[in-house]
Amino acid sequence: MESTLMEKTQASTLGYHELNAMLNLYNDEGKIQFDKDKLAARQYFLEHVNVNTVFFHNLKERLDYLVEKEYYEPEVLAMYSFEFLEKIHDYAFSFKFRFESFLGAFKFFTSYAMKTFDGAHYLERFEHRVVMTALVLAEGSELGAMKLVEEMITGRFQPATPTFLNCGKAQRGEFVSCFLLRTEDNMESIARAINSSLQLSKRGGGVALSLTNIRESGAPIKKIEGQSSGVIPVMKLLEDSFSYANQLGARQGAGAVYLNVHHPDIMKFLDTKRENADEKVRIKTLSLGVVVPDITLELAKNNEDMYLFSPYDVEKVYGVPFSDISVTEKYQEMVDDARIKKTKIKARQLFETIAELQFESGYPYIVYEDTVNRTNPIEGRINMSNLCSEILQVNTPTTYNADLSYNEIGKDISCNLGSMNIAMAMDSPDFGGTVEAAIRALTAVSDLSDIESVRSIQYGNDQSHAIGLGQMNLHGYLARERVHYGSEEGIDFTNIYFYTVVYHAIRASNLIAIERGKTFGNFENSKYASGEFFDKYTQEEWKPATSRVAELFANAGIAIPTQADWNALRESVMKHGIYNQNLQAVPPTGSISYINNSTSSIHPVASKIEIRKEGKLGRVYYPAPFLTNDNLEFYDDAYEIGPEKIIETYAAATQHVDQGLSLTLFFKDTATTRDVNKAQIQAWRAGIKTIYYVRIRQMALEGTEVADCVSCML
Amino acid sequence: MAETKHKIARPVNWNKLEDPMDLEVWNRLTSNFWLPEKVPMANDIQSWATLRPEEQLVTMRAFTGLTLLDTIQGTVGAISLIPDAVTMHEEAVYTNISFMESVHAKSYSSIFSTLCSTDEIEQAFRWSEENPYLQKKAEIVLGYYRGDDPLKRKVASTLLESFLFYSGFYLPMYWSSRAKLTNTADLIRLIIRDEAIHGYYIGYKFQKGMEQETEARREEIKAYTYDLLLELYDNEIKYTADLYDGLGLTEDVKHFLHYNANKALMNLGFDPLFPREVSQVNPAILSALSPNADENHDFFSGSGSSYVIGKHEATSDDDWDF
Repeated sequence: MESTLMEKTQASTLGYHELNAMLNLYNDEGKIQFDKDKLAARQYFLEHVNVNTVFFHNLKERLDYLVEKEYYEPEVLAMYSFEFLEKIHDYAFSFKFRFESFLGAFKFFTSYAMKTFDGAHYLERFEHRVVMTALVLAEGSELGAMKLVEEMITGRFQPATPTFLNCGKAQRGEFVSCFLLRTEDNMESIARAINSSLQLSKRGGGVALSLTNIRESGAPIKKIEGQSSGVIPVMKLLEDSFSYANQLGARQGAGAVYLNVHHPDIMKFLDTKRENADEKVRIKTLSLGVVVPDITLELAKNNEDMYLFSPYDVEKVYGVPFSDISVTEKYQEMVDDARIKKTKIKARQLFETIAELQFESGYPYIVYEDTVNRTNPIEGRINMSNLCSEILQVNTPTTYNADLSYNEIGKDISCNLGSMNIAMAMDSPDFGGTVEAAIRALTAVSDLSDIESVRSIQYGNDQSHAIGLGQMNLHGYLARERVHYGSEEGIDFTNIYFYTVVYHAIRASNLIAIERGKTFGNFENSKYASGEFFDKYTQEEWKPATSRVAELFANAGIAIPTQADWNALRESVMKHGIYNQNLQAVPPTGSISYINNSTSSIHPVASKIEIRKEGKLGRVYYPAPFLTNDNLEFYDDAYEIGPEKIIETYAAATQHVDQGLSLTLFFKDTATTRDVNKAQIQAWRAGIKTIYYVRIRQMALEGTEVADCVSCML
Repeated sequence: MAETKHKIARPVNWNKLEDPMDLEVWNRLTSNFWLPEKVPMANDIQSWATLRPEEQLVTMRAFTGLTLLDTIQGTVGAISLIPDAVTMHEEAVYTNISFMESVHAKSYSSIFSTLCSTDEIEQAFRWSEENPYLQKKAEIVLGYYRGDDPLKRKVASTLLESFLFYSGFYLPMYWSSRAKLTNTADLIRLIIRDEAIHGYYIGYKFQKGMEQETEARREEIKAYTYDLLLELYDNEIKYTADLYDGLGLTEDVKHFLHYNANKALMNLGFDPLFPREVSQVNPAILSALSPNADENHDFFSGSGSSYVIGKHEATSDDDWDF
């Protein structure tokens, strides 16, 4: 027995996975072992990356080989001279880039770096990926490409996954992240929605669909009552479509569906996510979102019934699809109209059910429809959001002929995303230039996008050139500067930062419009053209409320735009227009924040040491950026910070963002559905446009936790 | 003890608690309720195909071993504890434990049916019926369940929940730390989340029971516990070698067994047996075990093991004051 017990200790033989996992275990002195993660990154290069990378003698040999073997697109390289290609590669390598964490390196090589077709060897380092992305997005401009390399390699700007993953590869998906499709109340539109979902998933995008217009279960078909089976079977079809299509196996298709809460199928829609739902109706991988108008909150406030309206009848009465009318505006009228079939539920019951489901599944997302439309500078109506609830744009319906060809192509939505790293951007020698480079890069993605297989998306993009500039690493930046997330200074910084960004974003879009002599379609009917959009900036003075924030901007040498700046910009925009219909959207930033060494989006960290699980990675541990054993106090996690401060922080940012921000609410497991409801009400009152996931943290029962585990500790 | 109590039929009154731990654990168990259908197992099909045939075989065998243990615990183990319950609430908790063990046993079937062919499944089950070490493990535990000493039953049950399962749990945790079968790992983690509480609770009730005993009897039980543990351990080492030698993981799994044996002893209120240097678990496995629901995942991946059934509370008029 003794001999079996006395095994050798294993510390000497640890591989990179084990070293990385030690980040989640305290050492004997109770300190977090950051050095083990650095060691893991080093070990990963020595043991894995370096030995599995294809070696080339020089750049020419490398590029020739990659073009000849159909790894790289020759068209991209052909836009530049070979001398320049050498110069830009040297430039990229001159920054001596190093990954800050094991996960950053691991994520990059697992998911982004180009591999040989058999998947056995790497053909790229981080610098190569950055260069190829810059060459594509600069569209032949040497100056533009050099600028983009600088912005990306310093981490100030990071394009979204589909762009960064695909640029310059001969075998690739699209550069665009995200699509939103309308569905109308007819079989042609439903079938087209499924077809489009398959096509878009195949190309690597997340797809969201609005089901609000589809007639409810039991509605008449060809005047025969009780025939329609409602939205649930459509959801089933979509779920299966998304799991079938994936982007060359790179990632799974993902989809979301949105429904207005005044749709008669709303309770069935929510019940699909119940833990004990019947297999026939259970929805596992499709994400759900609800569209909530103000009237619903009013009815809940008064503890009244809320009426649900048949989309079929609404469309007959008003002559437009259900999603194109404002329920708040027409509510009383529809209640009184005998031609519209209606059912009723308790308004508060709806909110309780939503909260219950959010506990069980994290879903549904919420879109506060009237808030969104009130702050929308573009003519038209916003009736849905996307897979991450940050895209908010207007759309119009598509109609079909009897042979399934298009009758009139409407506008559907695509969005090109990329995010700035707030900490690195604050360190930028030219903040306005950093924003401008980002806006230009995203605009290039829009220019290069041409989704022929879904004509409504193609048309929408041609008209809108919409982009979504996001932000990440807010918490990391604040902690680095020893400011608490959600404190007065933290919120003040968020306000002034986003205020400064929106100015430069519009300025850059205005510059592009001037250069090209072109604006987005229907600019003339927007609040930018009328100047109304600018009122809050020209009539009000925006400046830091705390000395600390004034100091942060002053030390960084970043000028905060003045009313005079805004007046000048307003004039130029009214005269020349802007090129992009939409400019900002703050996504949740999963993968890219790891390679960029950022905290996700503008959320607080989920944990000091985050446990990350992804299909391709397994379980990996990620230290919050800039975290040391000496500044732990600035890294309170999202559950400790609580929903109120997160909402206040998001509200400060929201007022400067034309689209939305993916806002996750975090609760401890002592929370009840009432706490969730209260946060939803607070968010709505604070002008928040959308709510993304609700997360509940359940700690292990005392006595059952793993000893010495960092992420187990409160 | 239980017999005198049940002369009069009494309804269980949850508003009058003799042991607050009963309610705490009940609440925790019910809010943790889950069914295997929740986890999108089909997402592991591609990953399963990347395992070598021998890796697939060992994985299936590990799971049939687990199925057997969960079957024992669901149909005999937890139920055999019910007559020994001191409080009626304790009985209720055991019924929940027993039911969830059956859910666990069924989950392995849903893993099998998603990943393997009927023929392969049947072969793996046949292996579990023919493997001498697995059968011996079952035999030892079943013997004590059928015995007449309530405390010994609890010891056997705690050792099963906190120790014997883990040779099987090791493998899915190992795969998930290498980015394989991550949805299966989610499901196993849900099981581990439950087993951690089961082992803890039964161990706790054991300690309560020990407080009522004489010093001599306590010594007897303690000696019995270590004897049983060593008997199980000797068998478990052979089982582990039989299962894992082909993959070269046996040494690593042993450390893991030591760690969990110590944990089981701690649940029973006894000192750990294995010294720290031989119970240092591979950090990737240890971190993967964490039963907390704090991992982060994106919508392109699985559902995670993080969501719970919410506590319902109606809003009041004040909440809607705007």
